[in-house]
Amino acid sequence: MSCLKSHQISLSFSVSRATTPSRRKDLKAIKEPSLGVLPEVDNENSPMLPTAMTPRSSKRKSAQLVSSRIRRQLGTQLDFNSDGEDDEEFLPSKKELQSSSEDEEEEEKVDSDEEVAVKKSKRGASGSRTPRSTQKTRSSTRTPRKTPSKKTTPNTPRTPRHITPSIPSRSLPARQPANVLEEASTRLHVSAVPDSLPCREQEFQDVYSFVESKIMDGTGGCMYISGVPGTGKTATVHEVMRCLQHASDMDEIPPFHFIEINGMKMTDPHQAYVQILQKMTGQKATADHAAALLEKRFSSPAPRKETTVLLVDELDLLWTRKQNVMYNLFDWPTRRHARLVVLTIANTMDLPERIMINRVASRLGLTRMSFQPYSFKQLQQIIMSRLNKVKAFEEDALQLVSRKVAALSGDARRCLDICRRATEICEHSAPNPSSTGLVGMTHVMEALNEMFSSAYVTAIKCASVQEQLFLRAVIAEFRRLGLEESTFQQVFVQHQALCRVEGLQPITVLEGLAVCQRLGACRLLLLEPSRLGVQQRVRLNVSQDDILYALKAD
Amino acid sequence: MFLTQSKSSHLAYITRGSAVLFLQRCIMGAVVTHAVCFRHLLELLRRTAVHGESNSVLIVGPRGAGKTTLLNCALRELLEEKEVKRNLLQVYLNGLLQTDDKIALKEITRQLSLENVVGDKVFGSFAENLAFLLEALKKGDRSSSRPVLFVLDEFDLFAHHRNQTLLYNLLDVSQSAQTPVAVVGLTCRLDVLELLEKRVKSRFSHRQIHLLSGMTFPQYLQRVQTQLRLPDGFPDARFSHEWNGSVQTLCEDKSVEEVLQRHFNSSKDFRSLHMLLMLSVSRVSTANPAIRPADLLEASRMCSADPKANILHGLSILELCLIIAMKHLNDIYDGEPFNLQMVHNEFKKFLQRKSHSIYNFEQPVIMKAFEHLQQLELIRPVDASAAKTQREYQLMRLMLDQSQIMEALQKYPQCPTDVKQWAMSAFG
Repeated sequence: MSCLKSHQISLSFSVSRATTPSRRKDLKAIKEPSLGVLPEVDNENSPMLPTAMTPRSSKRKSAQLVSSRIRRQLGTQLDFNSDGEDDEEFLPSKKELQSSSEDEEEEEKVDSDEEVAVKKSKRGASGSRTPRSTQKTRSSTRTPRKTPSKKTTPNTPRTPRHITPSIPSRSLPARQPANVLEEASTRLHVSAVPDSLPCREQEFQDVYSFVESKIMDGTGGCMYISGVPGTGKTATVHEVMRCLQHASDMDEIPPFHFIEINGMKMTDPHQAYVQILQKMTGQKATADHAAALLEKRFSSPAPRKETTVLLVDELDLLWTRKQNVMYNLFDWPTRRHARLVVLTIANTMDLPERIMINRVASRLGLTRMSFQPYSFKQLQQIIMSRLNKVKAFEEDALQLVSRKVAALSGDARRCLDICRRATEICEHSAPNPSSTGLVGMTHVMEALNEMFSSAYVTAIKCASVQEQLFLRAVIAEFRRLGLEESTFQQVFVQHQALCRVEGLQPITVLEGLAVCQRLGACRLLLLEPSRLGVQQRVRLNVSQDDILYALKAD
Repeated sequence: MFLTQSKSSHLAYITRGSAVLFLQRCIMGAVVTHAVCFRHLLELLRRTAVHGESNSVLIVGPRGAGKTTLLNCALRELLEEKEVKRNLLQVYLNGLLQTDDKIALKEITRQLSLENVVGDKVFGSFAENLAFLLEALKKGDRSSSRPVLFVLDEFDLFAHHRNQTLLYNLLDVSQSAQTPVAVVGLTCRLDVLELLEKRVKSRFSHRQIHLLSGMTFPQYLQRVQTQLRLPDGFPDARFSHEWNGSVQTLCEDKSVEEVLQRHFNSSKDFRSLHMLLMLSVSRVSTANPAIRPADLLEASRMCSADPKANILHGLSILELCLIIAMKHLNDIYDGEPFNLQMVHNEFKKFLQRKSHSIYNFEQPVIMKAFEHLQQLELIRPVDASAAKTQREYQLMRLMLDQSQIMEALQKYPQCPTDVKQWAMSAFG
């Protein structure tokens, strides 16, 4: 009977998509303890289960024996009453999933347990067209299991190969903002990105027209976007893709597929291939294999292929010495049948000239766009549009923040963080929570002081007597030598002299070393390693004027 | 006797439980001294735990200032709310333990008990772990996911990892509409922001809490008193009254004040005060049931004992004479490095002119003495390239200070007088 079922399953496999045996092998994910699902399966059934359960359909008797042995071994370690939970868990999931993906109809034919495995393997197999929707529902079915105690977590092998990651959900929903200031604070959080970014309309238009033209023509291309951090590059590109997706849903433009990778979110530049392959086709492979597969995919013609738009964030981290990753990324769009549009984002305007060799830079092309840092008017506009109708800030306060940040870096994140901190200060400094008033200049000044301050002077003022004396001794020794560096021993001589002048009891060498170490830990002084003892060299990390100012003021 | 029994048990409580006592007091002390910082931190953590708002903050302060204590205090108060206790997930990382992003990632995955952990083992390669964690965090959202608190001790060490990948990703999550996270970094470096890369720095919210206490000496004395007193809830009221009285008289003693002034001048942090008071309290016993000023003086002496002096006491006479010869060379040549032949010549001068009790030794014996000194790291070669020159002619430096040598000489057991006099005279 199970034989028949496995046939059904393999049929449905072939019906849903043209899977090659090699692909099915590749679908095998990380080795995690497999199946606690049917721990009471006896030996003669087990040879069938591998074909049903694991996409890696190994028909070899030895492999099947080994895997059944492993399963039995692990089955003894797992909770046996998990089965009952299984069925209950899956009933709601079945209902939920009916609406989401089109693979559901086939799953209803099979048994509930095997449905689990099939569903999971299918999910892994489904080229992540709509990855988010399927995985979200998976997480919602899984999360209730996480809130119980850690003891039950060994149940997780119930969802073997394609374990989907999730953070458990909270018992009560988070509190909503209660008053005006809290509402403003929520809106000013950096993560609350608006649907349409103000002050970036021109850039939006340029990127939109570029990508749209490539999609409509069915060709490929590269674009390089640069700008200092916090100028809205990634947000603008996301906005463009959202609009294009909307247009595609309205059938105004041909359908396309959007993939995003980030150089910082990878451990190695070659992982880029792995991630691109996974996001395009759902296959998992090693870096070299993935590169080969992608190369084949982009070189071979396919009649109904749709355009792929690839966003590469933090491009400079994909640099390798031979630069093959970058070369491939910019070479594939030039193939006739690739239909790949690559949008790259980095921080420096001259990155291609600086770190890329000629052939890579030429393939990147000249379609470049530079995002300028925000001016103070733009920052003001951004905050006003975020707050929308919420009246929480005084005009002057807002202007002060915008001007200050624009003068320094033009980074929108900084501006938003300072405004949010100012609203918090305003909220706490109010005598009673109901009447808080608007965020004024005093609050903004306090927030600016907090976030722009350098604490060296305060640290020196709060240092102990001997530490301050030691700093003075360092300055005295530097003046005597005419250098910016000296050994601890020489400074110590000066220190003892200063102690006598001040009328303090002179300290021992050990105490002096301890004082020196403490100052070095704070980085008021720069020291050599302490195993050099009295011979370690000492340098100042703060300017002499700052030290004298700090010591004079008290 | 019944009375002495209870007294001894109380004293045992004081000495044995002193660590716990101090910890509690330390916590209260930290909160009182840094009340504003405590409020700020507590508010920030509450925003993440209750309202689901992501945040990042750095707590900066010198060593022993109470950063970890402050954080633990704030967390303890926060976890008293049932809602928070049930929901907040905590991850503790330390820059000294997790020296690499790979190890740190495995640790995070293990502490969060994500799905690729079975028991204590984390499956998957570094790349897979990273992708897994990022996906898990990405799927969450503000209103329905449990908030995660990341505590990064020795934050500055994380900035030395390759590409600062972990920091970038954690701070990126804190600035995106994903699972609410609070990233709290503790460090003692004042220039920690300069270590961050520009992308990481842009994602950090630049909130810093500085634990710089402008404590004065009277406040310091007050802290000593509060640390040593027994709490009000102590069962034996008569004993606690007696004990607190003795603490009061102790703190009014002149010599004690001098000792504490010396310590305060050296450093204001809680940890060294802790050590001093612990050592003095550990001398309490049934025979002397109260802390005496002598105890405190002895504890202070123990704290500031020089280990190098002890090493010098263990040297042979020959080695000691060589050290004194090096000291004279330092005086004559004003700190320039010397080689072993020069020291030998200086020693021979002493033998010819002044010495009565010491005779000349053979060259190999003297070389062995030098080797011993080098092993003890009392002398150190100027440069590490030891292969080029002959051993007698390698330049060395003395790692001791004059005052250390003289002090050790005073207490050297059975030191010959001519050696002592040679050390004290200005001329070789």
